[in-house]
Amino acid sequence: MAPDSSRLDLLQGTLDLLILRALRSGAMHGWAVSERIQQISQDVLRVNQGSLYPALHRLEHRGWIKAEWGVSELGRRARFYSLTVSGRKQLEIEAVNWSKLTDAIARVLRMA
Amino acid sequence: MRWKDYSLRLRALFFRRRMDEELHEELQFHIDMQARKNQRNESNTIEAKRQARLEFGSVVRTTEECREERGISSIEIAASDLRFALRMLRKSPGFAAVAILTLALGIGANTAIFSVINSVLLSNLPVRNPQQLVFLTNPDEQGFEIGFGDGDRDFVTYPEFQQLERNNQVFSGLLAASNFTSRIPVELQTSDSGNNAPAHVSLISGSYFSVLGVTPILGRAFGTEVDKLRDANPVAVISYAFWRERFGGASDVIGRRIRVLNTSYEVVGVAPPRFHGETVGANPDIWVPLTMQSESFPGHDYLSQEANPFRKAEWLQAMGRLKPGITLAQAKASIEVEFHQMMEAQTGGMSARDKRQFLNQHLAVTPGSHGASTLRGDFGKPLQILMVVVGLVLLIACANIANILLARSAARQKEISIRVALGAGGPRLFRQVLTESILLAAIGGAVGLLLGRWADVALLRMVSSTSNQVRLDLHPDSTILAFTLGVSLLTGILFGLAPALQATHVDLNSVLKGTSRSVAGTTARSGGVPSGKILVIAQVALSLSLLVVAGLFVRSFRNLSETQLGYDRDHLLEFFVDPLSYGYHPTEIPALDQSILLRIDAIPGVAGATLIDNPLMSGRDSNSPVTIEGQKPSPGDDAHARWAMVGPNFFSTTGIPILEGREITDGDSGNGQRVGVINQTMARKFFPHSNPVGQRAFVHTTSGQAPFIIVGVVQDSKQHSAKEKALPRFYVPYFNPIGNDWTAGAAIIVRTAGDPSSFLSAIRSVVKQAAPNLPTVAMETMNQRLSDSLVTDRMIADLSGAFGMLAVVLVCIGLYGVMAYATSGRTNEIGIRIALGAQRSGILWLILRESLLLVLIGAAIGVPLVFAAGKWISSLLFGLQPADPVALAFAIALMFVIGVLASYIPARRATRVDPMVALRQE
Repeated sequence: MAPDSSRLDLLQGTLDLLILRALRSGAMHGWAVSERIQQISQDVLRVNQGSLYPALHRLEHRGWIKAEWGVSELGRRARFYSLTVSGRKQLEIEAVNWSKLTDAIARVLRMA
Repeated sequence: MRWKDYSLRLRALFFRRRMDEELHEELQFHIDMQARKNQRNESNTIEAKRQARLEFGSVVRTTEECREERGISSIEIAASDLRFALRMLRKSPGFAAVAILTLALGIGANTAIFSVINSVLLSNLPVRNPQQLVFLTNPDEQGFEIGFGDGDRDFVTYPEFQQLERNNQVFSGLLAASNFTSRIPVELQTSDSGNNAPAHVSLISGSYFSVLGVTPILGRAFGTEVDKLRDANPVAVISYAFWRERFGGASDVIGRRIRVLNTSYEVVGVAPPRFHGETVGANPDIWVPLTMQSESFPGHDYLSQEANPFRKAEWLQAMGRLKPGITLAQAKASIEVEFHQMMEAQTGGMSARDKRQFLNQHLAVTPGSHGASTLRGDFGKPLQILMVVVGLVLLIACANIANILLARSAARQKEISIRVALGAGGPRLFRQVLTESILLAAIGGAVGLLLGRWADVALLRMVSSTSNQVRLDLHPDSTILAFTLGVSLLTGILFGLAPALQATHVDLNSVLKGTSRSVAGTTARSGGVPSGKILVIAQVALSLSLLVVAGLFVRSFRNLSETQLGYDRDHLLEFFVDPLSYGYHPTEIPALDQSILLRIDAIPGVAGATLIDNPLMSGRDSNSPVTIEGQKPSPGDDAHARWAMVGPNFFSTTGIPILEGREITDGDSGNGQRVGVINQTMARKFFPHSNPVGQRAFVHTTSGQAPFIIVGVVQDSKQHSAKEKALPRFYVPYFNPIGNDWTAGAAIIVRTAGDPSSFLSAIRSVVKQAAPNLPTVAMETMNQRLSDSLVTDRMIADLSGAFGMLAVVLVCIGLYGVMAYATSGRTNEIGIRIALGAQRSGILWLILRESLLLVLIGAAIGVPLVFAAGKWISSLLFGLQPADPVALAFAIALMFVIGVLASYIPARRATRVDPMVALRQE
């Protein structure tokens, strides 16, 4: 499959932010997170599958998400991730930082 | 790191396989879900799955990255480092064996000395809450004092202890113990009597075990009920060792009886295995109540209040346990007040001057958690010195191993370069090489621990003599193990640092191409400082100090053992008799003594027999103020003299030259006018311008003033130790005694024509004939006594000498290694030189010069160290200055000899270089 030209490369930090946001809605397994991001962004953002799981494990290691084995909607065993209290806080912080960043870039671009 | 991270890492370490499985399952789930999604567009299931896998990318890489995020890398890496290090060691068993042996010796020596230091200086008594214990007496002294001394008390009397126990406010309990443990024959009352080897007995108050908080492992301890009545409680608690050795660990020991001297005691308890009393090194076998004193020391009463307050029997160590919340300062203040009141109450009828002097007695309250010990005074400094010595030897050994490792790592350049090329980072290499070193050190440390235990046994035997056994408990406890572990780790890091750093500086290209000529330790020409040479220089400096120190001690000991004592030490022997303790009546004793002397004199080969109340080389002495008739003592002058009571012909028998007048003879015995003989120092002090002979002197003892007429002056002699300084001393006749202390026994001194040790059995049998009730006497020749008194000095001399030699051998090996390596690196250069016509001797000198230069620099650095070391040990030296030029010159000369020796083989090899071969070699 040829790489989709509309697929943007996500920086590591941004991926973390998206994962945290996705998990705010509730616990999901890795596949669901990837699908959800893709869905909400209307297919603009397709998560690089090779970076998804390292990111999830990194976030788990940092204590912002926690993981539990559960049963998926199809009856198979899957690892479900959910936000922790500190994860919620981190999400807010990162969201604020992201808006600051985008505002700044937009200002530069609008500059005549 | 937070707890969550820790638990994650720990889980990762232990459940690694499970986590890997889980990860695999998780990733597989993702791929399967993707495959299912693909199946909507792609009907072929297999194709769908394949696409899913392609899209996912490398599962292996993802797995690896996920694992890294788990953060267990460091522990896993450490484990793999360890496995690799083990493999490397197995590959070169020769090197490993040498290195481990060297380390074991070095670390073992350190552990051995530290065990002793721990036992003597550092560890607490194995009792309940030792920090609450304090001493009211002097924990550094052992003995028995009769008389008066002002200032801080060494010991207390029994009545004083009783009063303190009754009236104190600050202690939850007080105990008293007899401080010196005498060796008394103790017989087990079993059906097979004859088992009456001597044992150490200690007399204690009833409160002893409860105040210390020690519970017997069998039976019970006696309590304060035994203090109520005298001679009424023949009960005993025995030590664990005594129970195992004499009773064979019998479980029915409680209730059995033992006979101490003439009294039968019932064993009521067995002390715990690690408990050895309140005095470190004393290790009593049996504890009996103080109230049984007259059974243990018959004929004396040391328990009652004395008639004369200036003549007290001070012989008890007293300890107290502070009440909770009471500080040491508070206790000190309270005891000071109480003791002062006690002394005040005894001053009735004293003159003002006497009263003032008498009230100048105090009890010092000092922390007691370490127990009492004279070992600290005797062995404190020597032990510290030995610790430094073995520490230096270990450092030197480390330098050697570092050098070898550097050489090995140079040989491993290729391997390391490949690793770097494959992506290993500097820190990773560093950690791995360091792990090898630490592993080596850990194994060396483990072996060293074993060696250390054997070394301790040998050490104790070295310092014990028959008369003064040092009994220390040197089992390896957690402190020792922690020490060994710490030293091993430190050692490993120390010698592993240089090679590890070396490993991270690798010139990749040249090594892989094989053109590298980098040779560890000798890269003087390629710039940078050669680490191997620095190490050798350091080694030379350290071992120079060691050698000089060892030389000083050896010479000092030689001086001591050859010191003239002032009497004929090669033909004398001495033994102690104490008839009063074995049932003889005081009035019988003079006749008994005379009879013994006569009988011994009659033995063929004996040139004379005499006696003295304070045995020579025993530490027992009498000290009293002296005035001379017609002389006014100047105030503030210390007009004291040591004195002893001697039998007839004492001076001719012992070989002390008579300088003026005559000696004490048979005619001076009896109740007539008392005569006395003074020594040179006393003559110089009291009669600087006149002739002492014929003058009258007065001795002021606690029983009054006793006169004597001086009839002779003798040469100074050393009464108790080879290191003694000359003091004023006089002698009066034993058979016209001052006071009645001679009931405490006397030492018989015998002069023989030949070797005194061949007369032992003959003398024993005549003594037995004359006094059948006396036990078998312990006899020693004067030379034996002298060498017993020098046991510490001999130990230091022997050990420092041995370690000095060890250091020299290590330096020689180290120097050889460095020179061999340096020379092999210069093969090219040497080949060129020979080709250009250099002589063989020129080449030899070339190599030798390098080695001698190293030694010279090392010696130059070492000399200031030597002076510093010399100053530190100067208090232990006898008869020579610390800056002794002979010792220094010898040490430096030895180092140069080592320099020549070590470079001999490399130098010879250098001369045999074939220029053609050398020039072709790259």
